[in-house]
Amino acid sequence: MLSILVETMGLLCSKKQHLSEADAEENAQVDNSALAAEIERRIAQETKAEKHIQKLLLLGAGESGKSTIFKQIKLLFQTGFDEAELKSYIPVIHANVYQTIKILHDGSKEFAQNDENSSKYVLSAENKDIGEKLSEIGGRLDHPRLTKELAQDIETLWKDAAIQETYARGNELQVPDCAHYFMENLQRLSDVNYVPTKEDVLYARVRTTGVVEIQFSPVGGNKKSGEVYRLFDVGGQRNERRKWIHLFEGVTAVIFCAAISEYDQMLFEDENKNRMMETKELFDWVLKQQCFEKTSFMLFLNKFDIFEKKVLKVPLNVCEWFKDYQPVSTGKQEIEHAYEFVKKKFEELYFQSTAPDRVDRVFKIYRTTALDQKLVKKTFKLVDETLRRRNLFEAGLL
Amino acid sequence: MSVAELKERHIAATATVNALRERLKQKRTLLLDTDGSSSCYSHFAGYARSQGRTPVSFGPTDLVCCRILQGHTGKVYSLDWTPEKNRIVSASQDGRLIVWNALTSQKTHAIKLPCAWVMTCAFSPNGQSVACGGLDSVCSIFNLNSPVDKDGNLPVSRMLSGHKGYVSSCQYVPDEDTHLITSSGDQTCVLWDVTTGQRLSVFGGEFPSGHTADVLSVSINGSNSKMFVSGSCDATARLWDTRIASRAVRTFHGHEGDVNTVKFFPDGQRFGTGSGDGTCRLFDMRTGHQLQVYHQQHAAADGEVPHVTSIAFSISGRLLFAAYSNNDCYVWDTLVAKVVLNLRSLQNSHEGRITCLGLSADGSALCTGSWDKNLKIWAFGGDRREI
Repeated sequence: MLSILVETMGLLCSKKQHLSEADAEENAQVDNSALAAEIERRIAQETKAEKHIQKLLLLGAGESGKSTIFKQIKLLFQTGFDEAELKSYIPVIHANVYQTIKILHDGSKEFAQNDENSSKYVLSAENKDIGEKLSEIGGRLDHPRLTKELAQDIETLWKDAAIQETYARGNELQVPDCAHYFMENLQRLSDVNYVPTKEDVLYARVRTTGVVEIQFSPVGGNKKSGEVYRLFDVGGQRNERRKWIHLFEGVTAVIFCAAISEYDQMLFEDENKNRMMETKELFDWVLKQQCFEKTSFMLFLNKFDIFEKKVLKVPLNVCEWFKDYQPVSTGKQEIEHAYEFVKKKFEELYFQSTAPDRVDRVFKIYRTTALDQKLVKKTFKLVDETLRRRNLFEAGLL
Repeated sequence: MSVAELKERHIAATATVNALRERLKQKRTLLLDTDGSSSCYSHFAGYARSQGRTPVSFGPTDLVCCRILQGHTGKVYSLDWTPEKNRIVSASQDGRLIVWNALTSQKTHAIKLPCAWVMTCAFSPNGQSVACGGLDSVCSIFNLNSPVDKDGNLPVSRMLSGHKGYVSSCQYVPDEDTHLITSSGDQTCVLWDVTTGQRLSVFGGEFPSGHTADVLSVSINGSNSKMFVSGSCDATARLWDTRIASRAVRTFHGHEGDVNTVKFFPDGQRFGTGSGDGTCRLFDMRTGHQLQVYHQQHAAADGEVPHVTSIAFSISGRLLFAAYSNNDCYVWDTLVAKVVLNLRSLQNSHEGRITCLGLSADGSALCTGSWDKNLKIWAFGGDRREI
């Protein structure tokens, strides 16, 4: 076998001609130096024009709110969405409605089978057929447009006591955060002339593939001065981050989104893994990446609105990372205390995962509710200030 | 049978298969030659030595850096030669493709990509088009003869969309300017018709025997373009027949880390792989046997095993070029499995890791692309061309 191999090698060589000599003559005659110089000039010009653009990378586990932040920035600092763009979200919103009611319906059946108090999860007799029908529709890849009839059916099912009981345990299933909002607006969503509002679009959940980016200037459209940012959301990639994260070496800042309301929820991809633990691991991993040695980190502790409602009912220590939490009071004081505890955990993690030589890298934490436009605007202004200060510092002017 | 029961059965079956595989591996190791050095994994090299094959004589004067291609303002990730004329296309983190005349080192095209995050590029067989792909999950085609727009940019002539994850690698089917194969982070490979933009076949994904993690690399068999091999984060390489999308022809085990790169051996009967486990391997396409492991202890600065980023064979297959993440670039004698040269030790070597390498069509030159933003062309010394 080996001898055959060696002979083959010899044969292969003699077959190929040396094209290089013939080519050399031909190419030498065609002098493209003018073209090449023009290309180089253009590259230099483009590079110079881009130099002042600050690149921001949005990272975070699935459903941490990255895309919502992305949409908010678009609404705040760009021209927002025009009617065509708003309408393009209709299929997504309708799909979200079908998906939500299916998850709730199937969840109620699951609880009815497995739970001791199974009777409270059993649908009333008259809603069983509706339930099966909606579950089937929800499982399709393509959904029908939401008609008044279907909206009525969904509303009926949503109001069924069994479904409401199931919704109360939504954290054990994969009930999306937009569930309540869309269920309360079914009439409007099914209107024949429905045009989604900006708020509808912010709630809409869609898995993008690839990368989305927007360029914007936070100072406002009229002013020429001020920073120019380019924001990237790579949320759509459900694969090995380590294979493409190094492409982002040199970005100005990473905006890491962590949904702090998720401490009692499991991953969509793996129902045995706690979402907060996943976020913790991801944050740790990102901090340690060599490509981000000099990158600023903006940590957005997101979904505070859901957190503040949940934390008084579901103790923080259901999550392993927060197992040493002790509540101290009630109401608003308690919420603040719980939030500060979570914030401290992230701070500790940051310093544990940051090598001594990177300690002067910029690190800031922000409390956010991505759906709250005013808050996002305020937060971003703070981010902008921090980055501008850092730039001046780097330039030796501070 | 319920889902839970099926799951349990699947887990049990997988455990059985893994146990069997482990036993096979142990049996094989027992049967092989061991001489304590880097070639202890295969009888292939042992046989070579026993027949009196000495390592090929190939030293620092046999490979000389004759061109430096400068112009990218970011890390170079991918390169490809034209099948005939000596032009090279390269893709970089700066969001550009640049087409170079390899002989004069002049740029003939610079394409600013709509999505800057490009990971791979390829020349069409007739040299008229280039394809590229990356984080946008799309493979874009540019016709080099199209008129440029007012900014001097080439417009995209075709976008191949359908992947649900990044496009890690693309290659045109040899002699077919209309067909192209891509590999993706969505665990599939796809055969495309470039003229219509349609997916002709999807390899993996819903069908069994597909990769179970991101696919990182493809290589089409130069002697039989209906066959191609893919490498993946699932630590395997798989052989596919483009006529049969529903299942892989064969799965090749052996690596203990991501298979970052795959390349067919010049005679089309074998192929090489490079992995995150720090080794390169040679597999026999038909029998599935692992013929050789190319492994040498590197000087590990931080205790981490450097992984293999890219490989290429010399025109006869006697030499295997392998680039590693620690800036090394070894030239292996494939028969005796010894390193004969490290490009890093040559004059004008790269200052950063080499991410891609490729031989010119006539095998007389090697091009390397690096994170130091440059490409370099290395010519084989006069009488070494046949190698």
